[in-house]
Amino acid sequence: MRLFSNTVGTIEQALDYSALKQKVISQNIANVDTPNYKAKDVSFKKFLEEANSSQVEAYRTDPKHFSFTSSSESPAVISQANVRYNENGNSVDVDKEMSDLASNQIYFDALTSQLNNQFSILQAVIKGGK
Amino acid sequence: MNMFHSMNVTSSALTAQRLRMDVISSNMANVDTTRGEYKKDEVVNGKLVKAHWEPYRRKTVELAPKDASFNSLLNTAMGNGGTIGDGVKVSRIKEDTTTPFKKVYDPSNPDADKDGFVNMPNVDPLREMVDLISATRSYEANVTVFNSSKAMMMKSLEIGR
Repeated sequence: MRLFSNTVGTIEQALDYSALKQKVISQNIANVDTPNYKAKDVSFKKFLEEANSSQVEAYRTDPKHFSFTSSSESPAVISQANVRYNENGNSVDVDKEMSDLASNQIYFDALTSQLNNQFSILQAVIKGGK
Repeated sequence: MNMFHSMNVTSSALTAQRLRMDVISSNMANVDTTRGEYKKDEVVNGKLVKAHWEPYRRKTVELAPKDASFNSLLNTAMGNGGTIGDGVKVSRIKEDTTTPFKKVYDPSNPDADKDGFVNMPNVDPLREMVDLISATRSYEANVTVFNSSKAMMMKSLEIGR
């Protein structure tokens, strides 16, 4: 029997995504006045694929050989090179970044309270409903 | 994953924006400085240019993204998220040599030439004010990001309470 269901693991991945998203947003807003800077974004789909990717097994003729992982070929952080938003070649849209920031924070808060709920359910079960 | 990465990124931006403000205030303070730099005797195009004072030159800040460190590139190679970068840095403080000095007719000024004109600094207060507002707004945006990161971190400390 497993004590922790899949929910905890899923929420953990979502929290990782949210933390990465926060880093990318802060990098974008930090470079809001940098000429020729291109805004970065996190692809949730790619992030999930990376997290869930079943590793491709390398054909190993010797047990000392390294196995290779498939994750490094599809980075979750993406950047489009041909977008211009400002006249100086910068592509950071401050309004978009600020709204992303707010929604990311709410998302993170929702995830943490979900995780806390999960733990309190477990605790209720462990204590036998007392 | 490094927990304080986003806060470090934001603080580098706060430093850069504050330096921008410092440079702008230096420009504004020197808006009437006619003796900014002392030029010695030198030969330009075969002609001797006598030693003279040059007015203050407007300075601007050049920003560049601080690219990903070895640490984050290693993380990419290991498959722990892509490269994000380490914020922003000031690559140099540039002197504005493209905007010409303003010529003002003031024969009583000790720095006036033989026709009574004085070279004034190429600082345009209007332009500096616009830059100042831009720097202030960027600073505020970064403070908002910092507060948001902090709130998220405090929230994650409450997990399992």
